[in-house]
Amino acid sequence: MASVFIDKICKSFVSGRPVLQELSLEVNHGELFFLLGPSGCGKSTLLRILAGLEKQDSGSIKFDGVEISSLPPEKRQAAMMFQNYALWPHLSVFENIAFGLRIMGISGKKLKMEVQSALDAVQLSDCADRRVPLLSGGQQQRVALARALAVRPAVLLLDEPLSNLDARLRDTMRGEIVRICRERSQTAIYVTHDRQEALSMADRMAVLKDGRISQQGTPRELYERPANCFCGAFLGDINFIDGRIANGRLETSFGSFILSGECDGASAGAIRPERIKFAAPDHPEAFAAELVDGTFFGDCSQWVCRAGDTLLTVKESAPGERKIGEKVFLAFDDGFLLAMR
Amino acid sequence: MIFRRIIQYLLMLMLAVFLLMFLILPLFTVIGEGCDWELLVEVFRTPVYREGLLNSLAVALVTTLLVAVMSLGLALLYDRYEFPGKEYCSLLMLLPMILPPFVGALGFQQILGYYGVVNTILEQCGLSRIDFLGGEGKFWSVCVIEALHLYPVLYLNLITALGNIDPAMTDAAANLGASGWQRFFRIRLPLLKSGFLAGGSIVLVWSFTELGTPLMFGYNRVTPVQVFNGLMELENNPLPYSLVVVMLAVSALIYLLLRKLLGAQAGSAAVKGTMGSRAIKLRSWRKLLPVGAFLLVALLSILPHLALVGTAFSRRWYNTVLPEVFTLTNFENALSNPLVVPSIVNSLRYSALAMVIAVVCGTLAALISSRWRLRGAWALDLLSMLPLAIPGLVIAFGFLGMTSSYAWARAIFNPVDNPLWLLAIAYAVRRIPYVVRAVTSGLEQTPEELEQAARNFGAGPVKTLTGITFPLIGANLLVGGLFAFSFSMLEVSDSLILAQKSIFFPITKALLELSQILGSGPSSASAFGVWAMAFLALTLASAGILLGRKIGAVFKF
Repeated sequence: MASVFIDKICKSFVSGRPVLQELSLEVNHGELFFLLGPSGCGKSTLLRILAGLEKQDSGSIKFDGVEISSLPPEKRQAAMMFQNYALWPHLSVFENIAFGLRIMGISGKKLKMEVQSALDAVQLSDCADRRVPLLSGGQQQRVALARALAVRPAVLLLDEPLSNLDARLRDTMRGEIVRICRERSQTAIYVTHDRQEALSMADRMAVLKDGRISQQGTPRELYERPANCFCGAFLGDINFIDGRIANGRLETSFGSFILSGECDGASAGAIRPERIKFAAPDHPEAFAAELVDGTFFGDCSQWVCRAGDTLLTVKESAPGERKIGEKVFLAFDDGFLLAMR
Repeated sequence: MIFRRIIQYLLMLMLAVFLLMFLILPLFTVIGEGCDWELLVEVFRTPVYREGLLNSLAVALVTTLLVAVMSLGLALLYDRYEFPGKEYCSLLMLLPMILPPFVGALGFQQILGYYGVVNTILEQCGLSRIDFLGGEGKFWSVCVIEALHLYPVLYLNLITALGNIDPAMTDAAANLGASGWQRFFRIRLPLLKSGFLAGGSIVLVWSFTELGTPLMFGYNRVTPVQVFNGLMELENNPLPYSLVVVMLAVSALIYLLLRKLLGAQAGSAAVKGTMGSRAIKLRSWRKLLPVGAFLLVALLSILPHLALVGTAFSRRWYNTVLPEVFTLTNFENALSNPLVVPSIVNSLRYSALAMVIAVVCGTLAALISSRWRLRGAWALDLLSMLPLAIPGLVIAFGFLGMTSSYAWARAIFNPVDNPLWLLAIAYAVRRIPYVVRAVTSGLEQTPEELEQAARNFGAGPVKTLTGITFPLIGANLLVGGLFAFSFSMLEVSDSLILAQKSIFFPITKALLELSQILGSGPSSASAFGVWAMAFLALTLASAGILLGRKIGAVFKF
């Protein structure tokens, strides 16, 4: 396993329209690192550059301190799990997984053992002799994972591996991938546009926008302390509240509130819907609002309230019964109203 | 990595040099030899040549019209209806393609000749005989035979074009109130332009320059035959070169005119969405109509060849409806002719070598343009497709010119000493487009990710090619090779022009010589032709089974 050091990678396919702009990133040994971003942000390109399938225009990549930028893809030991799996239809499941091992010079009993252990890891032990086109989508996906794991790569690259699966299978596979990576302390870089996937699986993650890293950190840091509006909105619903910012407080039409985070240069406050609570009228921080709209989800309800001239989305778990048009009192959770640039 | 790029560019350079030497240089030589203004003027001044040119054009136009009607009808049937046996119809369409009209012409005379089948039937019905093959009849016979041979080219292109039309487009027209006929003329037919352009230009140029069929019918007043006949006295009279130049110019003009007429960009509006087959299922007796139409056309197109088989197996077929007295004597006679067995061996040698050359070059060209994406690949792609647009006769003449103009060319392939390399390369150059198309369609249907995955798992470029790419496109490689081989086996223009000594004759030239022997000649030539056809049918049937409907992609330009 290896650490990955990416330094000032630039790439553009059409000159003047950069896909990656001086992107730098460090992934620690044994870490499951997520690259999250909207489509077209350059995350898959970065992964393909790491695998050597695209060549960067400038910048360097080091695995464990060794420069690999000029190595051809087959010398990089960065096994990739392709978005569409890229399983070879003319080879059996066994041969697909054995392919990389054979090239490494492994044969005979050792080969069989390694393939079997990769198959065991993805719980497909009895599928070795099946032909690829006959497998279901979920099975193909696991074969692709097994194939990448079998070669014990320095870095495992996963390119939206779960995007073709149905919701239930996706949940199971999320757990499996996390388990396998932890067990092997496998350095892995995982590309996705699904924020749930990233938040629930990542050790650390980075949000990409227009070929730059918008923010990186642990899922909790990114979710609770987004560095900018883009990250805040990309990772989940968020209320932006306009107002005047002075002395660490946000002055709005419906009250004045303490902001957390860096206030210098901030232009608005932001708070996630689940951090706004219905409060008793005598609550010290409570402010009055009118219930404008509501959607019932079962385990929670999403309300829209008007406070002053601002519309706020409020997420209430274990929702009570409320009437549209009624007057309610709301309060922000302490420390969750963020200053936003 | 840079090293690999260098190797790739070196390979490209080698291919480019090969094509420049054996495709562009021959062309250049012909033009150089033929671009004598005096001679060119003479071509247009001499009534015989003028007539030949006009006749050739007429043959091309009539043939193409016949082809358009036949193939449009069949293609619409195929696209519109669901019927039993549909999956075999496209395979059936290959039949006329592979049976060279050159051979079929022998049988055609048996059917329409003055003492042939039709006339015998006419007489038995109390009507008088008609001389179908005399005078004007020859013209129509040549057109019909060529049309029956060439319609699959257009048909396959139309099928592909129809398949690319989103049913939603006609649905939208219907939704806006267009009737069935309006939908056909305003929507479907305009969207078929690209298919017409692709198939039609091949058919036009092909029939304009076809040598074998008119030669067999003795229809001598066409340019290709005049060129061929001028071959004997080429030393004293370089006029055939000028005729070839005129032919080339007219071919190019035809292509440009057709392009102008149909519009190059036509069909680009065909958006592929998610679409299912909209074919209508026919009920009861009606479901037999489409398949009947296919069978009828196929039967018509192989009728000459059936007659050929009849002639080959019978002792006598003269003034009767069916052949009389079964015999194998013709086959014996054919084999005992000193030309026959060596010609088979020759053809096998030439064609096998041609196949290897064509497959190597074609695969390389396909890899360069659809995988390696080297700079200038488009030019190479264009170059490797060029032989489809250049008449075989022109290239053959170019090679001939090269052997007389350049000492090095004379040293490598002297047609008098040993035309092995000369013929193999001449065959190969003209078959490269088929290989390129076959391999490219294979590469395009194979996700590049599969190869990238192999690289990702540690396989080098060579291992990736041999372990992943080639196995995955194996069927396409095989089909490309088979086409190259079988078309070479019954190639006409190169064979007739470049094989000059009887011990080097390939099958087709031996066939022509044999058929011109008085008396038993035509019968033993028929027997010989049957053997050749059976051989071809076998190779192409296996190709068809391997590739199925995709085979149409091979004929697209």
